[in-house]
Formats: sequence, structure tokens, C-alpha cells
Amino acid sequence: MSDTLVFGTPPLPAGRPAVGDPCLLLGPVQLAPGGPADPLEPAPAEDLRTHLDRLGPRPTGSPALMTALDEAHLTGQGGAHVPVTAKWRRALTGRGPLTVVANGAESEPVAAKDGTLLRQRPHLVLDGLMIAAEALGAERAVVWLHGDDHGARQALLAALRERPWVLGHPAVEILDGPVHYLAGEASAIARAVHGGPALPTVRRHPQPGAPRTLVHNVETLARVALLARGQAPTGTRVLTVLGEGRAVVEVDARTTFADVLVDLGWTEAPQAVLLGGYGGMWARWARVAHLAVDESALAAEGLTLGAGVIAPLGAWACGVHQTAGLLGYLASMSARQCGPCVFGLPSLAEGMTALAAGRSGDGVARLLADAAIVEGRGACHHPDGATRLVASAVSTFADDVAAHAAGRPCGAGDIAWPGVDS
Amino acid sequence: MSRAPAVTMRLRVDPVACEGVGLCAQVAGRVVELDRWGYPVIEAELDARGVKAAQRAVRACPRRAMWLEEADTLR
Repeated sequence: MSDTLVFGTPPLPAGRPAVGDPCLLLGPVQLAPGGPADPLEPAPAEDLRTHLDRLGPRPTGSPALMTALDEAHLTGQGGAHVPVTAKWRRALTGRGPLTVVANGAESEPVAAKDGTLLRQRPHLVLDGLMIAAEALGAERAVVWLHGDDHGARQALLAALRERPWVLGHPAVEILDGPVHYLAGEASAIARAVHGGPALPTVRRHPQPGAPRTLVHNVETLARVALLARGQAPTGTRVLTVLGEGRAVVEVDARTTFADVLVDLGWTEAPQAVLLGGYGGMWARWARVAHLAVDESALAAEGLTLGAGVIAPLGAWACGVHQTAGLLGYLASMSARQCGPCVFGLPSLAEGMTALAAGRSGDGVARLLADAAIVEGRGACHHPDGATRLVASAVSTFADDVAAHAAGRPCGAGDIAWPGVDS
Repeated sequence: MSRAPAVTMRLRVDPVACEGVGLCAQVAGRVVELDRWGYPVIEAELDARGVKAAQRAVRACPRRAMWLEEADTLR
């Protein structure tokens, strides 16, 4: 294989999990570019009977399950990839009443894997939630959704109606969060499930008896439900790929980025891909084309796919211009609580916009200095997503950055991405 | 003689509570400086004099946005 992708070679047939192998989705779906994860064509949903025929009864959760979770190296699929058992052990150190949350409020404008999973296999997610709640002795089990995600709510309600006989303790609550980028942030959810505003916060002095909240991404819990049944890890990754619309696919984690795009019908190599979403990172296509989408393989390269979002940028586009638009979006989605975020993110967006317009002079250094000063200073990691985006854009689009810094205005066309004013 | 070994302390700010008043940087300039928007940037490592300064910053903050904690406390 060459350094750059040669499209036109036949796609490898091994892109998808083989029939019968453990997997999460029932099938791939195509979606509109933004909004909730409602598929363009009706997609299958699994009822309780099919779910039980396929997997057998749900085992009861117990702390002994942590061995299996450790052996599977299960990490959080919401984007941060924290080992699941690390969160369980931390939750077990407290004494206050515990709430376990299945977080289905995926907020990256492009991301739709969690919404797709909830629509296709609600029982698998509910199983994982109940198993975690039982294992940790939780008093409440909550599914947290964006307020506008009617499709996911309907799928969950239908699933809950099918399983009254497993209604035990705790009963599953479905809570609607705000329709906001930060509605899926863990500390915001922890406040909201206890009646507070859904805003990120800093825990100052953890009290031993204070209420505990454990937030897991819904895909993470679906994986818990499979592992608890003694299944091998799926070896798959669920991805949302942005093109003219969005595709949600489950692929063998050894599949390369090139094969993912070829399988989705791409015939031309992009210049770069945005990994993980708007709060993610850029990487040159030549760097990732032949890398597997497996998270640990990416981590070895200093990359992460976060919650599995891949947004390719066409060769004709300007990454600097596109990044300016993304930063404007991120600035607009600040919770407006922390000074470094309230002032820092607009500053980063303005700096990148000025650079794209060829009027920033030596503004690149200032841009990077602003990013460094903002890093790590919010109550949540929202500003850190923006600073990582800036740093990765400056290195990924180094040629464009240099040309713009020398005064060349942007002549590239606009790429409309969901939520981004270009 | 029987005093417990010194614990490394860290100055923390709650960025939600902080309104960028800036008194902390005035009373504890050796451990707090302000960014260009007026919000505190805190020295990571506190020596003994740094701890004294940090205590002044904690007391001075009108928003009660600062506190001292042991450095190995989980965030």
C-alpha cells in the first residue's frame, strides 16, 4: 500500500462483523446530516422476544462482573474511553444513594450511533443499565435523552412496556434533558437527575454520604449486557460517518479508515478527517487512511475517535476556514458559566476566522497561546475540545495556515456541516 | 517531633463561581496570575510560602470560588 490512499482498489470484504457474531446494531442506517438519529428508511427494531431468543435471559448484575469487564478492556464509548471498572470502583467508594444513568444524549451534531442503538436494540441498553444498577446497588436507574429525541424515547417506552415482568428495583426512569451540546456532559447530568439545572459543575469537597451518580454511555451499557452474558467482546466499532448525509455503521474494529469510506461509496480521497466530532481532532488523510478504527490502535498514534464520529473533509475545502466555523459552533455551545470558556472560545473562533481571511498576520502564535491558556480551565472539558481542535488544525493544515498567515485570503468553497455557519 | 509529614497542597478555583474579580492575584501574586480576560491561572506546585499566599487568596475571594486541597485528591 502506498502512503496515500489509492481509491479504486476493491474494498476488502471484511468490513462488517460476520453474520452470527456478537454485535450491537441490527444493521447500518442512512440519516440526514444533522438532527436526531431517525433513519431515512425504516430500520429494524428488536422486540423483547427476538432479543431473548438471540441472547437468552438477562443475568443479574453483580460486582463479580468486573473481572469480565476488565478482561474485555471495556472503556466508555461516550468519547473519553475511561475503563468502565475504574468508574465502578470509584462509585463503590461512596456511601450515598447511587443513581446509574444510561446517557443517550449524544451531543456532537454529527453523532448518531447512540440514537441508532437505542432505536434498534433498546432491550440491550436497558439490560446493561439494569445489570450495572444491580451490580452496584443503585437506588435509581435513569435513561437520559435529549428532549427532542422522540424516536429514542418511543423505542425505550415500547421496550419498557414489553418487559413489565422484569420491573424490579430500581424501575427505569426516562428523563428528558435540554436540547443542548452540553446536555450529555456527565456532571450536568448528575445535577439534573437530582433536580438541579443540567449545567456542568465542579465537585468541590466530595462528602462520603453525598448522592452518587454513575453516568455511562448507552453503547457502553449495551456492551456490558453482552459481556455479562459471557459473550466475547464484539471486536466491532460503531461509527457515524458524515458525507452528504450520515451513515451509522458497525464495522470490525480492524477495518481501516480507507475501507470504511470505500464501503460507504467514497470514490475520492479526502484531504483530512475530523475524528470524534466538532470537539475532536483533525488528522491528515494520509496519516489515517490505513489505520484501523480500533481505539487502542489509534491511541498508539496519539489519535482518538472519541464517540466514533468520522467527518471527512474534501480535497477542495480549506481546513482553516472549516475549523473557524467549528470553533464558532463550539463557542456558541458554551454553558456560559466559566470565564476561560465564555471569553476564550470566541477568541479562538475569531482568531481562526481572521487567519482564514488572511488578516491575522502572525496570529497563529497568539491563537496557540490562547488555546494553551484556555486548556483545562473550565468546569467541564468543553473548552478542551476546542483547544485540541485548534492545535490539530494548525498541524494538520500547516500549508494552508502558512499561506493564510502570509496574507492569502480563503478562496475555498464553504462546506456546510450541521450547525456550522460557513 | 510528632508532627504529621507535610502534605502537598493545591489551590483550586471553581470556574463557575469565579467572576474574574481578580483580588486573588492582588493578594497572592506569587501563585495566581490573571489571564487576559481577568480570570485566575494558578501555579500548580505550592511551596510553603505559596500555601500562605494561597490561603490569602481563598480568604480574599468575594465569590468564595477558591479552596485549598491536598494535591493527590481526585478532581
